[in-house]
Amino acid sequence: MTQKAKLKRSGEPIWWALFSAGGVCFAVFIPATIVFLALLMPLGVVELSYSQASTWFFSFWGLLFTGAVVVLPLFHAVHRIRHGLHDLKVQHHGLVKALGYGFASVLSIVCLTFWLLGFLN
Amino acid sequence: MSYRSELTRTWWLKHHAFKAYMLREATVLPLFFLLLSLAMGIYSLWQGQNQWQAWQLIMGHPVVLVVNSIALMASLYHAWTFFQLFPRVMPIRLGEKTLSPKVLIAAQWAGVASVIGLFAWLFRGAL
Repeated sequence: MTQKAKLKRSGEPIWWALFSAGGVCFAVFIPATIVFLALLMPLGVVELSYSQASTWFFSFWGLLFTGAVVVLPLFHAVHRIRHGLHDLKVQHHGLVKALGYGFASVLSIVCLTFWLLGFLN
Repeated sequence: MSYRSELTRTWWLKHHAFKAYMLREATVLPLFFLLLSLAMGIYSLWQGQNQWQAWQLIMGHPVVLVVNSIALMASLYHAWTFFQLFPRVMPIRLGEKTLSPKVLIAAQWAGVASVIGLFAWLFRGAL
């Protein structure tokens, strides 16, 4: 092995850190989010008016919400989909990685941008 | 020449432990759907009142409710597997004693319950 090859840096620690942080959020924050926002609210058991929702979301809390409930679980999901495809013997590792993390990054930036636009408004 | 066994795409169907592993990997599929619908909610909230109400209607569509219910079960299954891993990866020592895995697992479920409690408190007026 040449010296250069030995020193080649891997991006894996970054993806793994996002994956494990997202795993914690998936386990701790996602169940409550589904119960309230994806089941009780649409079924009309609890109400969330536009003014309540926008006041709350376009504050500092919305940034925490976006990070813990959308961005980190998204990177967790993409990481698992990537490894799941590897387990199913999909061979295009570079393409899967680029598409997966690319999509997660773009969607995260879009969500954070809308939060920022609402926050500054 | 050594013998190399061919791994087929269906290798994981051959043992229940492999199936459980793949089921855990698959918990992110309904999660992915949920995250897309939440991202849509953020966009709708930014657009204004009409879009916000339209988003609430979409979230109430039977198919969306079913997929998100599956996402709830998947998140609890993921939590169950994840919480068992934590004491093994990061055993916590208090002086000489190692904290029992049962205590750590219970503490993590208490965390899930307290987040549900926090949401209930946020929605307190409407419950």
